Amino acid sequence: MSNAYLTYAAKRLGQAVVVILLAYVFTFVVVSILPGDPITSVLRNPQNGFSEEEIAEIIAAQGLDKPIAVQLWNSLSGFLTGDLGVSMRSGRPVSTLIAEVLPSTLILASTGLAVAIILAMAVAYGTQFVPKRYGQGLLRGFPSLFLSVPNFVIGLVLIHVFGFQIGLFRVINPDSFWATLFAAIALGIPVSAQIAEVLIANLDREAEQEYAAVARSRGIGRARLFATHLLKPASLPVVTVVALTIGELLGGSLITETVFGRTGIGSLVQRSVSTQDLPVLQAVVSLGAVVFVIVNLIADLLYPLLDPRVKILGGKKRTPTTADEVSINTTKAVAS
Amino acid sequence: MASQNRLTNTLIHAITVPPSPQPVKPLLQVDGLSVSYGRQEVVRGVGFELGRGKSLALIGESGSGKSTIARAVLRLLPSGASASGQLTFEGQDLLALPERRFRPLRGRAIGFVPQDPGNALNPVRTIGAQAMEAAALTEEPSAAIRKALILETFSQVGLENPQRVYDSYPHQLSGGMLQRVLIGLAVLPRPALLVADEPTSALDVTIQKRILDLLSRLQSDLDISLLLITHDLAIAAERTDSLVVLKNGVVQETGRTSAVFSSPNSAYARKLHADVPALNPDRYARLRDPALRLRNAGEAPKIDVSSVTKTFTVDGKVLTAVNDVSFAVPAGTTHALVGESGSGKTTTIRLLLGLEEPDHGEISVAGERLSGRSPQSLRSAWRHLQLVYQNPFTSLDPTWSVENLVREPLDRFKIGSPKERAQQVREALANVGLGEHLLARKPSALSGGQRQRVAIARSLVLKPDVIVLDEPTSALDVSVQADIVEVLLSLQAKLGLTYIFVSHDLALVRQLAHTVSVMQRGSIVEHGAVADIFSNPQHPYTATLLQSIPSGVTASVPAVPQKSRHILREERIA
Repeated sequence: MSNAYLTYAAKRLGQAVVVILLAYVFTFVVVSILPGDPITSVLRNPQNGFSEEEIAEIIAAQGLDKPIAVQLWNSLSGFLTGDLGVSMRSGRPVSTLIAEVLPSTLILASTGLAVAIILAMAVAYGTQFVPKRYGQGLLRGFPSLFLSVPNFVIGLVLIHVFGFQIGLFRVINPDSFWATLFAAIALGIPVSAQIAEVLIANLDREAEQEYAAVARSRGIGRARLFATHLLKPASLPVVTVVALTIGELLGGSLITETVFGRTGIGSLVQRSVSTQDLPVLQAVVSLGAVVFVIVNLIADLLYPLLDPRVKILGGKKRTPTTADEVSINTTKAVAS
Repeated sequence: MASQNRLTNTLIHAITVPPSPQPVKPLLQVDGLSVSYGRQEVVRGVGFELGRGKSLALIGESGSGKSTIARAVLRLLPSGASASGQLTFEGQDLLALPERRFRPLRGRAIGFVPQDPGNALNPVRTIGAQAMEAAALTEEPSAAIRKALILETFSQVGLENPQRVYDSYPHQLSGGMLQRVLIGLAVLPRPALLVADEPTSALDVTIQKRILDLLSRLQSDLDISLLLITHDLAIAAERTDSLVVLKNGVVQETGRTSAVFSSPNSAYARKLHADVPALNPDRYARLRDPALRLRNAGEAPKIDVSSVTKTFTVDGKVLTAVNDVSFAVPAGTTHALVGESGSGKTTTIRLLLGLEEPDHGEISVAGERLSGRSPQSLRSAWRHLQLVYQNPFTSLDPTWSVENLVREPLDRFKIGSPKERAQQVREALANVGLGEHLLARKPSALSGGQRQRVAIARSLVLKPDVIVLDEPTSALDVSVQADIVEVLLSLQAKLGLTYIFVSHDLALVRQLAHTVSVMQRGSIVEHGAVADIFSNPQHPYTATLLQSIPSGVTASVPAVPQKSRHILREERIA
């Protein structure tokens, strides 16, 4: 762990914190300038039966009569200390609401990611080893096929086949092992298509490289070539892709939860959107930003450790005497 | 023809060696080898044989099929290629063997040294991890002994710090070191045959000599047969016993190297011989020398670089890339900057082109000072100062047509009407010998030589006085190089251009330059007229560079005809 790496890591961490704060401020501002006043419209709903005095009291208690900058400050300092406000619909703390449903979503998303990676690896492996006459082309078609199928369709098909026809799981018990697994499969397939696409292209490219031929000239068999030589350089860009698909996994899990009838962040969001429960929405969006930033931070920190060619560039002027080497290194790093 | 030569060889053997009761079979015998990629046949009916402990060169330009033959011997042809014929190695037909029976031969019996050491090792694995693969072929059970074997091999191939090399990643080593590693890995399992595919074409000239020396030494020490693929006849002549000359996948000539080298029979072998700069120092004298006569004695130099210094700071260390460099170039002549990678040549031309500001010193072109000027006023200077880049395979935008590529400078400087521009583009292309039918082509549809001609046309179109040529032929074959040199020299004679010619190839410099500066570690160690420097080098570094030029002379080369011996003696003195 070199000094340069620690400096780099600290820098990236600082940037990540700034991004999270900006994302929070951005959502806050967007919600505040949205047309219509969801708060008073909820409060004024005759069914709730609040009087004007009571409404004014609630608004004052929530600090909603203060200038927007003060509201932002209060909200932001609450966010930083873990206080996400109170749900307007149920009156319970938002953090509690999220804590209730988060584990279910985390289980679904991480299983989905595992499914996606395993499936992508298997498909990519197949494209390198399955002979053309035994359906290599079919495997190569996998990414474009499943990228174009929405995951709720995959979910519905899975429920129909494995839930109703085969009866592996019961749709009314969505938290059972099989139901979770199939939900994760529905979630993971489109994500795996993205990973597989990059992985296959990279494996093909690496297999064409001179070093692969030279390694084979040392008597390395194809299976060992794949495992010891090609897989690692081909997987490096996949780290970036996986980090980017986290967004897809989060978004996809909202849909998948609805399709499979699971309680999770998805169902919470769905309810909060339909009731315009702003504190909950603001918290969920910020949470999404946090997860996304953290995952990408991990990818960035992992990269120099995985690829020895990646130089941690500290804004130093490059020298033309070593320009060839420097530019080769940086272009390689950029390319991969 | 091939069989006739083989017959002659056999006869020679019959005279020198007493006939043994059982004729010794060659280690590798190739008969009627044809290779095609899809429908295109790239190697046609090639036959040759290589005896145990002997060396053979496959020589030809790119596209001649020489590398394809090497890959066929290793059975590393890309998918989609099919080979037919017979490749008999130690009595087995390599092409008929199933993969699982061939694989044990790879590395153990047939070693491979690739062309570009920079791409020949896995970039994300350490050298040691990859060396272990070669060491595993020795069947040595102890990992400690295998490692010791690797380190021993590394020092055998002249790597100074074997343990450091073992722990390094490929990008941390220089090209020469990587090639040593690769040669070490190839010879470590003691193969009977070593296939070396242009092992030095990606390396500097001095390193090239050391690597070739190493290969020759290992070959004789370890009694390995060497199949050397090269495009340089001089290298083949220095290093091999017999020679196979290839063109378009067909054998043009075979025989003992000394015989083919001294009196080539085929027209193509003669052309190859004529295209090697080292063997024909005066080939372009007719084109080159008149420029000197045109020169007026009192005229101010076209380019004047005086006491220029440039330093860079890398990781807190001050690095002097160019140190107190001065030279002057008279109009209409060629000045060569010579040196190895890292000698400061590139920085010097970057300074000359105004891409870097010198720390000290002054540069003027056609009497105009370049340093300390605004980018705006530099723009006008650039019109008179053009660059031809090293690698035409990367310097041209692949999505542009030839016409657009050549017209772009005119568009940038808003010169003439569209009609005039089109006319100037055609003129520039005609000047470099390219026809109008190429106007709509993309670079990918051009050969390497054509691409470099397009690059030259692009620099010509603004009618500059000075063209900076940054190793303009180093990415090209010997024969293509000869064409480009001819184009450059006729342009100089016709248009009176002044060239700055950057190169590490002294033989080429001798052919086309008038004056030369030899650079080492940022300083000019020697400069003067080409003829003087080459006949009487003062600095030891210049002498080393001159000795590195492959001359086609080996200690074991038998008698050569009178005329070429005379030329060769001059070589040696030079």
